[in-house]
Amino acid sequence: MLFLHEVHRVAGAKAKEFEVAFRAGWMEALAADGDARLLWFLHHAHGTGPSYQVVTVTAVADGAAWERLAARVQHGDLRDWVREVDSCRHDVQGRLLMPLDFSPLEVDLAAVPTDGRRHDPALYMEDTMWPKRGKADEYIAAAGAVYTKLLGSDPAHPLIGIEAAYQTMPGAGRYPEITLMQKVHDMSGLVRLLTTDMPEEMARRGNWMHDALEFRDQWRSKLLRTASWSPLN
Amino acid sequence: MLFMHEVHSVAGEHEREFEAAYRDGWMKLLARDDDVRLLWYLNHAHGSGASYRVVTITAVRDGAAYERLAGRLRRGDLLDWSRAVGALRHEVRGKMLLPVYWSPIQEIDLATVPADGSEHELSLYMEDTGWPSAPLDDYIQFWDQEYFRYMRAMPPEHSILEIEACFQVAHGTHYRPEAMLMQKVLDYGLLLNLISEPEDYDPEVWPGRYMHGGLRYRDQWESRLLRTSKWSPRY
Repeated sequence: MLFLHEVHRVAGAKAKEFEVAFRAGWMEALAADGDARLLWFLHHAHGTGPSYQVVTVTAVADGAAWERLAARVQHGDLRDWVREVDSCRHDVQGRLLMPLDFSPLEVDLAAVPTDGRRHDPALYMEDTMWPKRGKADEYIAAAGAVYTKLLGSDPAHPLIGIEAAYQTMPGAGRYPEITLMQKVHDMSGLVRLLTTDMPEEMARRGNWMHDALEFRDQWRSKLLRTASWSPLN
Repeated sequence: MLFMHEVHSVAGEHEREFEAAYRDGWMKLLARDDDVRLLWYLNHAHGSGASYRVVTITAVRDGAAYERLAGRLRRGDLLDWSRAVGALRHEVRGKMLLPVYWSPIQEIDLATVPADGSEHELSLYMEDTGWPSAPLDDYIQFWDQEYFRYMRAMPPEHSILEIEACFQVAHGTHYRPEAMLMQKVLDYGLLLNLISEPEDYDPEVWPGRYMHGGLRYRDQWESRLLRTSKWSPRY
């Protein structure tokens, strides 16, 4: 399974049309066969980063299915759709992602909703990391062995939980690059995270925040809110 | 056919090892089957842009072959090579490209692409990447009608460039809207004129009509002057 990750810089005055084009266009057009499904439609929360940015994640069955999807967009039934969508955004930055071994996300494409059913919004913290030169594999191993356990250390009151973990596919983005899709479970805990300094003991040897510096010190977090009709929430 | 375009930010002190890894590793390992072939290994000419940048373009048979290649890099016979190369560069940025409808290069017979590292003279390419303000399809058509057809019809003594390929980004693998021209420089004297003697173009006559008319489609692009290595399969 591959994951098509896109960051759209939307024209503010056309934000509603853009969202409709994805709900009534992309999501429903993909439902016609078993190649791909829209999973998430997420707004980068205003007040936490750039304005009018939308992140979409689309699951694609495999490389051959992705090639068919690219052909539909270049010269097939989705060509008019993408032309219309382009008129609602400044640009889009895409990449293809492959799941890491410790990624919990398992997608049955046939079971992904495509009817636009409504639900409460959910908040995600999407972290993208760029490991140091030659350190990508060690970072992935440490993230799987140490970071995932750290997040699960208080199962009754998790702050965030990893829903999916990806590595950018060679030839379809920046490398090395790791992306974690983490659902926020504790809103008051998120406020504490944002408003208090990291406890000093966490910066000492033997703690993830210290030890992981060997592998990476550059990452970016985005707070993303699902649309009320996003297939995954 | 797909084309994997990668821009490598090479660690300067490892420049030679990086090139050797592509010549003796990537190019030869890909030749083991008919899925993929390295086409170009290009150095961004020092003095014309970013330092220690290498551009590689690799032809990939189709989407299934692309997925197999990614699997080989991640956990197959290319894993050790990938780790070694990862230590020789700061990062790499890749995109998958599709030829547009009028591109001279559409399909490559992968079996005929040299993979033996045989040496040849160097050549220079001008790689133009454009980001249109008009709809992408209209920009690509404009390039066909107002640029490619005129360049192809140019007498040899006036030909500065040969357009070998025009690509657009395959969906979801990089930036949109974007399209790219891969142009071989035929006449270095004419290139020098272009660089050193800016011309006032008559908007009524080509190429002025192209330069002025192009503003309806885009005013943002970037050119790179890329020099092939002496063993690059295409040059």
